[in-house]
Amino acid sequence: MEDRIPETPLFDRSRQLRGYRLNKMAMGLVDPANREAFRQDEEAYLDRFGLSAEEKRAVMARNWQEMVRLGGNVFYILKISAISPARMTEIGAHQAGMDHDTFLRERLGKKPAGSQ
Amino acid sequence: MAKLIGGLGSSHVPSIGAAMDKGLTQTEDWKPFFDGIGPGRDWVAANRPDVAVVVFNDHGNSFFLDKVPTFAIGCAERYDPIDEGWGPRAIPSFEGHAELGWHIIDRMVENRFDPMIVQEIEVDHGIQVPMELFFGKPDKAWPVRVVPVFVNVIQYPIPLPSRCYELGQVLRRAIESFPGDERVVVIGTGGLSHQLQGARAGFTNPEADREFLRDIASNPGRLAALSREDYVRLFGSEGAELMMWLVMRGAMDPDVVVKHSHYFVPASMTGAGMLVLENRVA
Repeated sequence: MEDRIPETPLFDRSRQLRGYRLNKMAMGLVDPANREAFRQDEEAYLDRFGLSAEEKRAVMARNWQEMVRLGGNVFYILKISAISPARMTEIGAHQAGMDHDTFLRERLGKKPAGSQ
Repeated sequence: MAKLIGGLGSSHVPSIGAAMDKGLTQTEDWKPFFDGIGPGRDWVAANRPDVAVVVFNDHGNSFFLDKVPTFAIGCAERYDPIDEGWGPRAIPSFEGHAELGWHIIDRMVENRFDPMIVQEIEVDHGIQVPMELFFGKPDKAWPVRVVPVFVNVIQYPIPLPSRCYELGQVLRRAIESFPGDERVVVIGTGGLSHQLQGARAGFTNPEADREFLRDIASNPGRLAALSREDYVRLFGSEGAELMMWLVMRGAMDPDVVVKHSHYFVPASMTGAGMLVLENRVA
């Protein structure tokens, strides 16, 4: 997929079509029963939404960069972080290809010691 | 007739809500942001609005990709906080102004805007955080009724910035033709610059943010004329939310007075701002 603005995936038709099942799976996590199902047997929960092997690998590895590449939108896939905690800045750092402290310092101008 | 008494602007970053929930507002990370919201709260307390028309986007909570309204307007009696995945936050439900919601929908359609009509919906941090910033988190009930205006800024095609500005102009006429004596504020929410997706994640643009806060008051035509791509390039993929402030600005007179303006970066990964505008009294 070609993006007109560098390093900036626009959630356009092709991207959302590609990521539809992945995002629908993540959207399901607004339901407490689905969160419990995800906790109990993650792969079985992912299978309910027909995720491909590639999509399942990305989710189970918490590979945020790959989930976005596969059409995941952060607003949906972020709900996975309610179950296995990850801060938004950690998800950002992962996509930027930086460790967390470097990301906080270089992108957000923070001192690592003062970060939360 | 109802009276529009002010146009407010506010970020709706979820971590601002989380910082309030966890009592972190005086920490090193958050104090500089929360130190600047006092004058906004003071303005609201002094001017006693009865209704807040809140322009915001849902973040994959109330709407999924199966149905994506470009514009949607609430005409419900009540809006409960939604479970975004962490359980619903402990804040009171919002009382809706259903009559005003219906009236706005009527006037919109007559003026060739055709919003989705919403009578039952739960609402996410997009409305919660701005309400808490301006009104504080109440124990029992909010001091105003609300009319939510949802704008799709996630699934392309998102609306044009100029269209958001025009929507605000119709909203103004709708509010001021409502038979009642309500004092109304319009709150534009979202932004400022931030990007949560892709290798440019963590992008902010303080210079563009400060120019935005200046020009939304004094030169909104420039901001309405920018393209969607300009918004993404200048403010980040999620910073495009800022076009929702144009709905608020379109509802105000061309000539406004800035009563309060505050900016801080980064609130989590976002440039955070607050703005209070009044029409200049001739």
